[in-house]
Amino acid sequence: MSDGVQLAQEASSRDPAVGLRAVRALRELAERLEALQVGNARDQGWSWQEIAVCLGVSRQAVHKKHGGGRRILGKER
Amino acid sequence: MFERFTKEARAVVVRAQEEARRLRAPFIDTEHLLLGMLEAGGGPGAQALRDREADPAELRRRIAGVVGGDDLDPDALATLGIDLDEVRRATEAAFGPGALDVRSHKPPRQGHIPFGRRAKKVLELSLRESLRLGHNHIGTGHLLLGLIREGEGLAARVLVDSGVELAALRDDVIRLISSEAA
Repeated sequence: MSDGVQLAQEASSRDPAVGLRAVRALRELAERLEALQVGNARDQGWSWQEIAVCLGVSRQAVHKKHGGGRRILGKER
Repeated sequence: MFERFTKEARAVVVRAQEEARRLRAPFIDTEHLLLGMLEAGGGPGAQALRDREADPAELRRRIAGVVGGDDLDPDALATLGIDLDEVRRATEAAFGPGALDVRSHKPPRQGHIPFGRRAKKVLELSLRESLRLGHNHIGTGHLLLGLIREGEGLAARVLVDSGVELAALRDDVIRLISSEAA
């Protein structure tokens, strides 16, 4: 990432195209990390309720987004 | 055809199926065979790829960039002071290669994942390459020759995009498997 420094300096610019693109990139990164962490939590036996509390969302929201009907670890909680 | 496969070539196919499953693909495609070859790591196919410095991490990124919808945008993240490579290193250290490239961690489909049209073509071509060279087995080298000859799949494309010269790679593989057979 050789142009990273130059780009980092652009962060202080008020160009909406730069700022909005950064927000979008950050959202995509957050989505991937969330999917990864939720998957890991489920693998470790965490309930949807426990995951939802940590993420600060409702149990229904997290289950709808990440649930897929797997029942390897017993009943869905 | 599979009865002709060497142990290493079988490992590639098994690994390719795992890659397809992990990437939530509906069928096994050429890029899964390529990743399978690099990850299984045995035989002349993987050897030739390593000799040409084909980097599994880079190929994964390119594949994810094509297959995934919204790509991770390292330059935009850099404007926020986030080093995507660093994030990638950290997540892969904990969760394994390609962890950040998977867009959804909904449970993968269970069971058998079928070969797609292109991957089938690659298998056919690798059999043909084996016969052409007068061999009676299909090894990872023949599989790689099949991937190169197929030429239109994502595997060939990401190899070319990452600077691997297919004609040179082909020569390398043939040299490797010919010296192996001798």
